Amino acid sequence: MELDLGTLADLFARSFSLWWVIIPGIALGLAVGVLPGFSPQNTLIILLPVTLAMDIEAALAFMIALYCANHLSGGIPAILVNIPGSGGAAATTIDGYQMTKNGQAQQALVLSFVASVVGGLITSVAVLAILPWLAQLGLILRSVEMVVIILFGLTLIAVLAAKDMLKGLIGGAFGLMLGAIGTDQVYSTPRATFGFLELYDGLPLVPVLIGLFAVSECLVMLEEKFSPKAIPSKAQRPQWADTLDGLRMSLKYWWQIVWTGFLGLVIGVIPGAGAYIASFVAYQQSRLFSKTPEKYGTGFPPGVIAPESANNGVTSGTLVPTMAIGIPGGSTAAVMLIVLQYQGITVGPRLFQDNPNVAYGVFVMMTVAYILMIPLILPLARYASKVVTVPVHIIVPLILGLTVVGAFADREYIFDMALALVFGVIGYIAVKTNYHVTSILIGVLLGPIFERYLLRALRIGQGDIMVLFSSPIANVLWGLLVISVVYPLWRERRLARAAAP
Amino acid sequence: MTSGNSNITRRGLGLGAAALATAGLARGAGAQAAFPSRNFRVVIPTGQGGGADRLARSFDDGWTKLLNGRQFEYEFFAGASGQVGYELFVQRREADAYNLLFGNMGPEMIMYALQRPRFRFPEDLAYFCRIDIDDSAIFVRENSPMRRVEDVIAEAKRRPVNVAVSRIPHPASIGMLALGQAQGARFNLIPYGGGSPTMVAVMNGEAEVGALPVSGLTAQAGRLRVLSLFASENIVAELTNNAPTVNQVFGTRIPDLYSSRSWAIHTRAIERFPDRFRRLEETAQRVFEDQDFLNALERAGQPRQTVRFGNRELCTRYALDMIELANRFRQELSAQR
Repeated sequence: MELDLGTLADLFARSFSLWWVIIPGIALGLAVGVLPGFSPQNTLIILLPVTLAMDIEAALAFMIALYCANHLSGGIPAILVNIPGSGGAAATTIDGYQMTKNGQAQQALVLSFVASVVGGLITSVAVLAILPWLAQLGLILRSVEMVVIILFGLTLIAVLAAKDMLKGLIGGAFGLMLGAIGTDQVYSTPRATFGFLELYDGLPLVPVLIGLFAVSECLVMLEEKFSPKAIPSKAQRPQWADTLDGLRMSLKYWWQIVWTGFLGLVIGVIPGAGAYIASFVAYQQSRLFSKTPEKYGTGFPPGVIAPESANNGVTSGTLVPTMAIGIPGGSTAAVMLIVLQYQGITVGPRLFQDNPNVAYGVFVMMTVAYILMIPLILPLARYASKVVTVPVHIIVPLILGLTVVGAFADREYIFDMALALVFGVIGYIAVKTNYHVTSILIGVLLGPIFERYLLRALRIGQGDIMVLFSSPIANVLWGLLVISVVYPLWRERRLARAAAP
Repeated sequence: MTSGNSNITRRGLGLGAAALATAGLARGAGAQAAFPSRNFRVVIPTGQGGGADRLARSFDDGWTKLLNGRQFEYEFFAGASGQVGYELFVQRREADAYNLLFGNMGPEMIMYALQRPRFRFPEDLAYFCRIDIDDSAIFVRENSPMRRVEDVIAEAKRRPVNVAVSRIPHPASIGMLALGQAQGARFNLIPYGGGSPTMVAVMNGEAEVGALPVSGLTAQAGRLRVLSLFASENIVAELTNNAPTVNQVFGTRIPDLYSSRSWAIHTRAIERFPDRFRRLEETAQRVFEDQDFLNALERAGQPRQTVRFGNRELCTRYALDMIELANRFRQELSAQR
């Protein structure tokens, strides 16, 4: 069905009239997203009795607001205390936390919020315009193409390793090895689980995330006595001037927000591809096309913008296959599907004829949710940045308490709390010996997905490795991948030659 | 009570014993009526939002009304083809009839046979209420040049044909292997880790053929075409363009291969609390007449024809048959050579 302007205006009016559920959804999503371990799908599952009892439009508006806000707020702890609230915000720590250390916590938060909101907003509007074509995209990208897309993310290991190639690669390889823990992708045979049932499903993301980032950071804070004295005075007194400065930076890099948002949208459309693939690939690509790649990792605004915008571009992307072909693009979308089906709404191609108010309404609600977030988040940036002024003897127990509970909350295994502490020690050792914990995390996150798609592609090729070069789209992506690896090296060499006397 | 003669007489003892016995009986009856006095916790050994999740929730719409309004709280422990959820249920959930499991007997008993998990069936666990029979089906995308199952076999005799499946240890995978063996055809099974990605793989042409339980495929009519089923009869004929069964077409004797979702309980809970189990068993059977359940099923897209109650005995027989079948195809289904 074509979407005419009259219907669109009506859908917007109806969505705005649901502000009374959208705003609580945003508030809950923001709160839940800040805490590692409390994922949007778990929250929605807990709230299912409530949403199933609600009117379908109100239930959808609530779930979508919660989902979008959750993707936005994962960046807050990543920026303020180097602890990503979710896997999708892991890449934000690289430059976001560095900005906090440079006394620009508030600016980093504004950058993150603006990138998230604008990235989410423009992609949800874009979906409304090009939904039928986007739905086809999920059917065009297959395992072979996914292998190359994930490799884009994995090359970030090499980028992070630029300062010390050996240590960077060791970190990445260590992460990849850890990522191989669990059952094998073809026959489901457990490997390297040491008999622990808790590891059969692979290394759980939340305890690893919490350990590598939160626990290790707490240990470092305690050791270095990361007290208010150590923080630049500018960070201690949040001011509206800093908020405006963040807005100015966002305007300056508006193009980054746009294209990385669309990158997130495209990756989100592929069923099974997660927000963390999008954010790592966006960070890597942003650095590649930058005129000043050497500034990445030092608290450079585009390093915050790229992963955050992509992370929120994914939100609209994952709902495309859900609505258009009836196949959930991610676990949160799967929970939404339960509510839709419970209300007797059959998703899939016919939905656009049978129930266009729901089919397009979902994306209009998403647009409205992002619009309503704007007045809520700018004051949040100002006050949330105060976290960095909290004395270390208060913040460390608070972080440890919340995150260790978060490690338990996701799967309700005591084992996961112990695992978080083990990874805390690994992370601490890595930090103290100048290994990049993000390299390890990339290996843990992307390794299993890479293996899954690679093995699938090889089975499709019946063992012939040339299957990886059998598709025109994949071949174009391979070409881009080679360029993205070789070009920075060539550019560095050229600059070094120019600098030489 | 006043103080007085405290001597215990035989009559007094007898009366006391009778009173105690009566009180005990009354308490037992009360306990029976009181069960359940709290909510149930259900382990689902697959992911949230999947087929098992949707079916269990549809079922509890009707069941909760018969169980003093008690609710069902779900926990999802996917991983290792269901092994994680099953082991966790058997080893770490109390055998008190308040802890239940909702699983897919077909693939999960194949997992049991191949992966040798740390529990024994039926000693540790009993299925007691089968909800559906979801026959495994062979399907292609709508515009595939393979219009009939015979075309698939003809092609697979010339070269190995890629077949998308949910998991290697799955009744549909066994069906494809058995069919290949019977017809001298070669199938290359590719596991996609779930029904949805399997359907996408066939839709986008990554795999030429797919094999999955049929109920999910009926919702994709127009994009996917069911060619044949591993069943004695096609009970969803009107939803699948009267697709024939494999045995009808090829004269083979492949057993019915279906996914079958069922409620399960600790065997020890049945022994310790027979009254509780009886109440669960009796009320579960009554849910099949409940209109709320049938409506919920329809809303979830599950064809009504696939809904068939099966009691503990039927479930156990089916599960044991699956284990035997998996052992027959052990070499093809597992990494252990």
